[in-house]
Amino acid sequence: MESCCNVLSPHEQRIQEEQLGKKNFEGRERVFQILTSFQDLRPKIDVERAKYFTQSFRETEGQPLVLRWAKALKYTAENITVYIDDHQLLVGRAGYQGRYGILFPELDGDFLDVAIEQLPNRVESPFDVTPEDAQVIINEIAPYWKGKTFHENLAMALPEDTFKLTYDPENPLNSRFLVNETATFRSSIQWVHDYEKVLKRGFKGIKEEAQQKLEALDPMSPVDNMEKKPFLEAVIITCDAIVLWAKRHAKLAAELANKESDAQRKQELQDIAERCAWVPENPARDFREAVQSQWFTQMFSRIEQKTGTIISNGRMDQYFYPYYKKDLEEGRINEDQATELLECMWVAMAQFIDLYLSPTGGAFNEGYAHWEAVTVGGQTPDGLDATNDLTYIFLKSKQEFPLNYPDLAARIHSRAPERYLYEVAETIKEGTGFPKLINDEEVVSLLLSKGACFEEAYDYAVSGCAECRMPNRDTYTSGNPYVNFAAAVELTLYNGKMLKFGDEVVGLQTGDPTNFKTWDEFWNAYVAQQTNFLKHAFIQQHIIINMRPKHFATPLGSLMHDLCMETCKDLHTPAIEGGIDLGYFELMGYGTVVDSLAVIKKLVFEDKKLTMAELVAAMKSNFEGYEAIREMLLNAPKYGNNDSYSDVIAKDVDREALKFTKKYSKELGVHLDLRLVPFTSHVPFGKVVSATPNGRKAWAPLSDGSSASHGADVNGPTAVLMSNFNSKNYNFRNRAARLLNIKLSPTCVAGEEGSAKLVSFIRTWCDLKLWHLQFNIVNKETLLAAKKDPSKYRGLIVRVAGYSAYFVELSSDLQDDIIARTEHSAI
Amino acid sequence: MGETFLFDKKRYGYVFNIQHYSVHDGPGIRTIVFLKGCPLRCQWCSNPESQLQNPELGYNPSKCIGISKCLRCAEACIYGAVKQDLEENDKILIDRQLCKECLLCTEACPSKALEVFGKQTSIDDIIQAVEKDSAFYARSGGGLTFSGGEPLMQADFITEVLKVARRRRINTTIETCGYAEWPKFAKVCQHLNSLIMDIKCMDTEKHKKFTNASNELIIENFKKLCEEFPNLPILVRTPVIPGFNDSEEDIRAIIHFIKGRSNVRYELLPYHRLGQQKYNYLGKHYPLDGMRLNDETFNRLKEIANSLE
Repeated sequence: MESCCNVLSPHEQRIQEEQLGKKNFEGRERVFQILTSFQDLRPKIDVERAKYFTQSFRETEGQPLVLRWAKALKYTAENITVYIDDHQLLVGRAGYQGRYGILFPELDGDFLDVAIEQLPNRVESPFDVTPEDAQVIINEIAPYWKGKTFHENLAMALPEDTFKLTYDPENPLNSRFLVNETATFRSSIQWVHDYEKVLKRGFKGIKEEAQQKLEALDPMSPVDNMEKKPFLEAVIITCDAIVLWAKRHAKLAAELANKESDAQRKQELQDIAERCAWVPENPARDFREAVQSQWFTQMFSRIEQKTGTIISNGRMDQYFYPYYKKDLEEGRINEDQATELLECMWVAMAQFIDLYLSPTGGAFNEGYAHWEAVTVGGQTPDGLDATNDLTYIFLKSKQEFPLNYPDLAARIHSRAPERYLYEVAETIKEGTGFPKLINDEEVVSLLLSKGACFEEAYDYAVSGCAECRMPNRDTYTSGNPYVNFAAAVELTLYNGKMLKFGDEVVGLQTGDPTNFKTWDEFWNAYVAQQTNFLKHAFIQQHIIINMRPKHFATPLGSLMHDLCMETCKDLHTPAIEGGIDLGYFELMGYGTVVDSLAVIKKLVFEDKKLTMAELVAAMKSNFEGYEAIREMLLNAPKYGNNDSYSDVIAKDVDREALKFTKKYSKELGVHLDLRLVPFTSHVPFGKVVSATPNGRKAWAPLSDGSSASHGADVNGPTAVLMSNFNSKNYNFRNRAARLLNIKLSPTCVAGEEGSAKLVSFIRTWCDLKLWHLQFNIVNKETLLAAKKDPSKYRGLIVRVAGYSAYFVELSSDLQDDIIARTEHSAI
Repeated sequence: MGETFLFDKKRYGYVFNIQHYSVHDGPGIRTIVFLKGCPLRCQWCSNPESQLQNPELGYNPSKCIGISKCLRCAEACIYGAVKQDLEENDKILIDRQLCKECLLCTEACPSKALEVFGKQTSIDDIIQAVEKDSAFYARSGGGLTFSGGEPLMQADFITEVLKVARRRRINTTIETCGYAEWPKFAKVCQHLNSLIMDIKCMDTEKHKKFTNASNELIIENFKKLCEEFPNLPILVRTPVIPGFNDSEEDIRAIIHFIKGRSNVRYELLPYHRLGQQKYNYLGKHYPLDGMRLNDETFNRLKEIANSLE
């Protein structure tokens, strides 16, 4: 399956783990020992976080939410089991040893009991739960939350006509995948903390700041008393909570050290004990403390709330560098030791699985998806190149230890050093898809246009999949709407109805298209459907923005944010003075829509090779008996080929959506920017859309992100980039990320010359100001899959000698020949 | 259209493919323009659709959805040349005796199973197609590569294209077999940034047998090329074909001939059968069926070739 970012199917994951198994262990004994201790285990659910949160919440009814959250964190920190894993140098986990997921009943408590019974048997991303834990969930946790969760209240608050586009009218737990909300399966969208603040000041420093502020409050002021005071108290409690949690680790480590007979491990445990007694309470004094402090912070953040999809790591090569440099200079650490410690973090990350219980959340994040983005490279706040020795250590680690964790993001700018780009290219050539590339030349200027200062914009961190955050300036955490634009095409063809939903009028009644005389008539009808969807998406978001603060608080996230501390407001507050609210709405099925419209414009209205009635009949029967017509549709102009016919339509679709948000975002006080990044959701969104005029069969996945429809891009990767460039409206600032996946065969990038050409390809992508880029260097497995299912791999170019060809056009035995050679060339 | 259409050979050429993102034929990321027509008939030819200059009808049965679902080609053909394939009942067969290559069937075919190889293409068409990727040339040092077929068969035309390309600062190269009248060859070279030329075999008899042409003109041309264009970077390539030139003597003879020139590099290409399927599309027979190049042999020869550097 095509996927966005680095979602591995279990099958792909196995392949990768096998590859890992074959790699050389030398120098990596420790991380391989940790890796093998859990990699074959099925993830388990740990209930402790949910249990202690619920117990605490029972005791704090009626208090300000931010305070309740802080108290729940403190109670959890006091009671949750602490672990120290064998061989590990880092400590701090939120549940069982092995791979595990934790529960957030504030999101799904009301249906937790039902979901938990189904969980071990679900096909995608299954989890195990012990019978004892299941009883705790069913008897202790779930009953408390019934009637209290956000999704229950949101379903009640949506106006009727918005509701019917959002949820299945029979069961609000199920999305309709038309105008889809994503705010109920996570408390926050992707986020990145200012970890540097913790490293430099420690939670002690932040606590002191809160105490001073508390003392300075106006005792007469109702706002100070009712808003600021509980916030600052929550900050203090939260600082105490994480420090307490760390010190419990220190105590356990010391106990274990006393019992330990192996001298080396004994020393390691003593060092762990010392570190945990010092950080994150105090400023980090060396690299090892800095890494442990950051790890505690991100793990406690994972306990605090469900950030979808997992809290990001920020610019690790920047904020760790001073510590590394100093240790290196003073002989306390060498490159191998630093690498080992970081890889200890990667294998620790790999054990925490982001668990989704709601059917919608699961559909968005198939295959244990995770985006704990670690950002490297880019520019410093003063606009200089930011690469340093640590940057190269991260890239080298990814080459030599190609684990699927962390999600590595490399920032690229126009003056990126050649060495950096070559290292990035070499890492990409490993074929695991890392790192993904994010373009400073697009992101920085957009952040500026939205009101950021240069130093903030230059210092952005990649957050989640493709988004970019300024950790002390961004203040938007609401999950955003995903809008099924392909369904808008279907609604235009069936005058407001969809085959999936029978006679129900789902959209606008824009008229019977067989009566349309001109392309303009059709286009206007389509735009009306698209715009109607956006109207409801924005209504939905308006309710979500205002309702979330009644359900979620994030004292830990807030205390690391300059603006939250300044205004004494929780980060989930709708408007924080001085903040920039960067949200988005997702355009689902871009390629599907553009190709469908191109067919109608060209074949029906311009060339008149097909009547609208014939087209509609063909689609209604899912092309059965209309195979020749389907072939015509498949061979019409397609987006992704640098063909101006479809690229112009693509730009028009993009512009119509931008116009809407340009007009209405302002009243919401946020930037709901147009984004093309689907996670894995183009699959469920496709399941509600019947056959489309581009020849796509009913219920098949939609195109993903800003990529072409499956197999439609047959003019090579330069054409894919150019179509993206041509279809963007650079005069609008209301645009967010566009995700772009490119497949290359290993032979295209082989050797030194291949690296050079890959580097120049990346530089051109940077020149074109495209937001995101990720490569799939396809390997033998893909070629085998392509042989089996050629329709999905029509664009795959292979190279043997002096000649390039489309793989699927070759005869069977030639394909075998190339598969064999590819294997050879991989050595 | 089947008849040779008299058109201005300086303004139009016969092109059968334009391929973007070529990273193996010349510096940087390039666009290859494949020209139709070739004076040689190499037995291993991987582009059989390039041999004749005029447009040709090709039929790819794997793209055909079958006569049970579609009969548009048969309905379009006025010569009765579209017949049922008696071996594969649902597919068609082109009776090449009856076919006049009017190409009406290609317009009717919805799945592009029936396609024309070759199209009259103007200078503007080529420049426009090539410049679509100019952002990539700027960073990679790439540009336009003429290949074929044999681009020198349309020397007048490509000279005009190359002139425009030079004015527009597009880096240019051609891939040639070297078999052309020297004045035409020389004229094209004046407008090139670099050149890729095949030297397949120094043995004239063998050359004749496997390519249907003598190598004397090619060898003469290479000498003149080196004399008159001493600063033009030249990449000499030898496709290593089993049973033809896969011996050490063959390769050493070529090296001996080309060595000692600072502007000349040398590269071997392993034999491949990527074009085999296209013979079937054209209703032709693939002469080298069943041949394989031994990997060891090729690697040994490659070492010898590298010794030139």
